[in-house]
Amino acid sequence: MAPRWILLSLSLLVGCTGEEQPAEQPAEQPAEQPATPDVQFNPDTLKADAENVTLVPSPAEMQRALANAGLTSELASMVSDKDIGTDVENLDQVAVRTGVILAEVVLTLKDAPKEKLVPRLESMKAGFVKLGAGDDIPPTIDELISSINNDLNREDLLDDVDLLSGAMVPELETEAGDWVVPLIQAGSWLEGAHLVSGAIESESKFDAAGSLLRQPEVVEYFLKYVQREGGDKAPDEVVKQLEATLVKLKEIASKPSLSEEDVKEIHAATGAVLSML
Amino acid sequence: MRLISLLALTLLAGIQTAEADEKMADTCLRTKIWDGYGEGWAVRTATTASLAQGEHRVYLVTLYAGNEYKLQVCGDDSATDIDLVLHDAEGVELVRDQTNDREPVVTYKPANTETYYVVLYAGQVAEGQNAGVAMAVTYK
Repeated sequence: MAPRWILLSLSLLVGCTGEEQPAEQPAEQPAEQPATPDVQFNPDTLKADAENVTLVPSPAEMQRALANAGLTSELASMVSDKDIGTDVENLDQVAVRTGVILAEVVLTLKDAPKEKLVPRLESMKAGFVKLGAGDDIPPTIDELISSINNDLNREDLLDDVDLLSGAMVPELETEAGDWVVPLIQAGSWLEGAHLVSGAIESESKFDAAGSLLRQPEVVEYFLKYVQREGGDKAPDEVVKQLEATLVKLKEIASKPSLSEEDVKEIHAATGAVLSML
Repeated sequence: MRLISLLALTLLAGIQTAEADEKMADTCLRTKIWDGYGEGWAVRTATTASLAQGEHRVYLVTLYAGNEYKLQVCGDDSATDIDLVLHDAEGVELVRDQTNDREPVVTYKPANTETYYVVLYAGQVAEGQNAGVAMAVTYK
């Protein structure tokens, strides 16, 4: 770390329970300013203060990880043709469905026919509207629909959808509550995990399963919101199935390594939720 | 078509009511993200925070083995030094930015798919002010 010229502030000592340890003093220092030590954070502080906004990998990132692990499957080609709507009463389910569709859009934007893509975008927009997603995302989706209908270059739209998925959705503040984003992310992650486990199975690359599917903290994060208490949470069969699936995935993810049977179980469990949508 | 003009207004929720400093940080970060697309980087997540001197934020992040990650930060004008540090799940420090400015960058290619901790620390911020800080996790 480059030298700094301020003393460690009192507020740091209050704000961080970590053990502060001074860095080595650089050889040459201007005489009038003392070097500031690198601030150290201990594990307890990290764990206590951690926020989950950056925790969940995106479906596009899963595709990248798949390729980097040596698998040749294209997740886009494995996305089901089934139309998933968002016209349901239960808002938890609306959020999950919106997330699944978002994953499908991210993965298939480049090559899907507009007759398939535009209805997906319209369903996704309806989901965001139903969740009270504010004034920003729906017009952005309208712009995308217009561009696709006008046959604009899909390559040019990839980065826009990436920003929608990676920047706008995670920071979304909805009328419904703070559980909305985690459940949208759960839908996207569920779709991604289903496709990745299917790819591992079809290529019999089970040794890659641990690095591609073993994410216990992600599963726990979703479970916390699925199992939350609250007046806005009505009983729902899809949500019950989602909870059962996440409990199963948590059990599998707690293993030190994943077997062929584990991969098949992940694929079946995630598929059980998706088939209900 | 570039939706970025629209996204510029809406990239991060709450921007319509956000402090000007967060807009500045966000604009800076957006430019970096957009430049990154040309080099093959894509975005996992972008987020903002407001930090007084000595304050920190910690983010949990799942990183895939085999992918390369770049953590990018922009602070607003009130910040002169923002630090960016990556720790493993046990809290062991892995990478720390080597600059003394408000736009730290760290790259990391994990050997194992694990959960990591990203720490943003406001090392030097104008007295009595909060710095708007924007951070993106990008990958390729």
